[in-house]
Amino acid sequence: MPQPTIDEEALARCAEEPIAVPGAIQPHGALLAVTEPGLAVVVASANAAEVLGTDPTGATLADLLTPAELDRLRAALAADLAEAEPLRVAPGGTELELVLSRSGGLLVTEWEPVAGAGQAAAAWHRRLPTVLQRLSAPTTLEGLTAVLAREVRALTGFDRVMVYRFDTEWNGEVVAEDRRPDLEPFLGLHYPAADIPAQARALYAASWMRLIPDATYTPVPLEPPLVPGTGRPLDLSGAMLRSVSPVHLEYLANMGVTASMSVSLIDRGRLWGLVACHGYSGAHRPSAADRTAAEFLGRTASLLLHTTVGAAERDGMVAVAQREAELVAAIGRTPRTPAAALVDGDLTVLDLLPAAGAAVRLDGRLHLLGSTPPAERVAAVVPAVLRAGGATDRLTLALPGFDDVADDASGVLAVEVGGGRGDFLAWFRPETPREVSWGGDPRTSKVTDGRLSPRRSFARWTETVRGTARPWREHEVGAARALAGHLGAAVLARAGEDDRLSAALQRTLLLEELPAVPGVALGARYRPSEADVVGGDWYDLVPLPSGRLAVVLGDAAGHGLTAASVTAQLRHALRAALLRDEGPGAALAELNRLVAALLPGEMATAVVVQLDPVTGELALASAGHLPAVHGGDGTARLVTDGRGPALGLLDVADYPQAELRLDAGDRLLLYSDGLVERRDRPLPEGLETVRAVVAGAPGGPQEVVDAVVDALDPAGADDVTVVGLARV
Amino acid sequence: MQFAVDRVAVHGRPALRVRGELDIATVVQLASCVAVELSASPRALVVDLTETTFMDSSGARQLARTARDAAAAGTALQVVCPRSNAPVRLVIDLLELERLVPVVESATLSDGEVGS
Repeated sequence: MPQPTIDEEALARCAEEPIAVPGAIQPHGALLAVTEPGLAVVVASANAAEVLGTDPTGATLADLLTPAELDRLRAALAADLAEAEPLRVAPGGTELELVLSRSGGLLVTEWEPVAGAGQAAAAWHRRLPTVLQRLSAPTTLEGLTAVLAREVRALTGFDRVMVYRFDTEWNGEVVAEDRRPDLEPFLGLHYPAADIPAQARALYAASWMRLIPDATYTPVPLEPPLVPGTGRPLDLSGAMLRSVSPVHLEYLANMGVTASMSVSLIDRGRLWGLVACHGYSGAHRPSAADRTAAEFLGRTASLLLHTTVGAAERDGMVAVAQREAELVAAIGRTPRTPAAALVDGDLTVLDLLPAAGAAVRLDGRLHLLGSTPPAERVAAVVPAVLRAGGATDRLTLALPGFDDVADDASGVLAVEVGGGRGDFLAWFRPETPREVSWGGDPRTSKVTDGRLSPRRSFARWTETVRGTARPWREHEVGAARALAGHLGAAVLARAGEDDRLSAALQRTLLLEELPAVPGVALGARYRPSEADVVGGDWYDLVPLPSGRLAVVLGDAAGHGLTAASVTAQLRHALRAALLRDEGPGAALAELNRLVAALLPGEMATAVVVQLDPVTGELALASAGHLPAVHGGDGTARLVTDGRGPALGLLDVADYPQAELRLDAGDRLLLYSDGLVERRDRPLPEGLETVRAVVAGAPGGPQEVVDAVVDALDPAGADDVTVVGLARV
Repeated sequence: MQFAVDRVAVHGRPALRVRGELDIATVVQLASCVAVELSASPRALVVDLTETTFMDSSGARQLARTARDAAAAGTALQVVCPRSNAPVRLVIDLLELERLVPVVESATLSDGEVGS
């Protein structure tokens, strides 16, 4: 935004200028302030006698009006003045329109000659239905404002009628225009907020219409200047004849405007914009009836603004809401893998709202989509934007230190995903250098003799605004927050927190690398569940005091945090039991007692083998686990002896041991159910495939393990653990 | 096959017929049906796995839990799983679930009951 170089003090003085109580009116009518109900004249404009054709000093309205006129006046006073039509009266023989309002306990009467006012070709009331229909037909804002500009101009006969819209900083933009063909278009021009000071905007929000038929007028003072009894000047906020600020007149003169009118556009109580009418060829005064009609159009358009702005925004809102629902549904389908649902699907988080890039950080992992700053910058930018409120359309202007990401991320919308782990969703919009055409260089306001002098230059002046992106709209921010809220509540509470903890737990369960054991060759493969959830698998190698090696492969039922914590306990308990060196059967019996006592309702299976690397003697015990495969000499068999019940099934159980010999070249394969479980393949077939692959696969234990995993092609819903061993 | 647990009667005893894949995702349905049945402390309850096409360790664990809960409720539990349903029966056999709960080929009368 340009910073108009205006003397702050002079601007403040301008803001203090008493525009509501100028103590004067414009000369195209007369003003009398009278008491109620006596109607005695208290204040009169200096031109009253001239306009009325009779001197009202010391009179009452009863002296000025006929009994019939007086009756109509009293009737109007008894009703709502804002709804009152102008009264036609002729106190001194001249036909006048009388407009009523109230101020400071007085009735303000404004008398304006009918003669000399411009009258629209056709009577307003005949055209009203057509005009209203035209006004309510457009569904877009552009359509509505275009109709409004055209109809107001047709009605009032000004040279140019513009619809002027305020932005959030009160700069104005001409969004619609109807003009005399020879005039230069102003459509699309911007005007700085300083052109219409806050005080004037407050007045515009309170009254619907202002008229300056002759911008070169000489103000007519009110007499007396202070209302007797109150000692205050008369408040003319609601008076049509109110004399305007000399600064405003100077502003109009600088623009070449000789007559002006404006109608407020008020959207739900807030000044939205103006219908601004300019005349360039001398005085121009539409009739009171036509002005009322123009005001009526403005009021009607004000009511429609809400619905038409809404209609245009609604399209975007509906689309965003739809995509939000689809993404939420996608998350619901795969609650264990929310990141995949947001990043990998046909519809990604980037499609939620118009943006060039998006970032998803879930469970500490960052996924980038589209055009974004590099990952490490995203990790810096997003938290900074979150701290600054979550959305910016001017990152580099708002926050220091991010100039390097302006291209991709001048606009950043970030929402936190609950849990305080620093997870987030973010969208990025690129810098869009905008050409803003100002109606004149806004920096040309001058301060002369300490008084603000309005701009003199109104020649089109184009400024390139840098560092900004297309603003984030309310419904977009809302949708982003809703999606993040959904993620936080529905998914992370259930799966993310679980998985994060259980993944950490399980990392302690799986060996980072297989230890080197003299005389033994080992191979292992662990593949986590594709569902991104931690299963209950574990394996372990425990060198025993006797010099033998215990190899364990187990699987606790269930998934997630509970299974992982059960698994951790089982693993440590089994280690302890094995280190007593009483053999696999005794260790499993001990473990089973422990599960029954300490983990009621849990169930696990495990197979334990104990190998003497020197002799090849091998003892095996299984607690409900899938049979190990013993291969050698081109054959293999499932080890079906040495079995006992699954751990936790019985309070006390014995586990007999199978005794076999692992000869040189033999291999033994242990595995979890994830390897063989497939919905589309009965378990017996899976077991037979494992057996056959072990029988035929060449190479050492690792090669056999890999061959088995390749051949079985596990479903991926569960984690898969395979351990192979051989003697060397 | 869509997973379902049907409440039927076998020889006058309440029975839960488990159809489809009994796994970590569906096991909660069986658990809640079992809880409802056992809350009435019936003399007997049958869990029929004849039409169960798949059972993972979570499903097996639920059978074990059901057996314990039934014992606590004084309910005689019987699991029906014919040998012809090899994929499920093999899991039961490997885990030796029969040591906890009777697993039979088809629903049978239990002691002291009169068939209808």
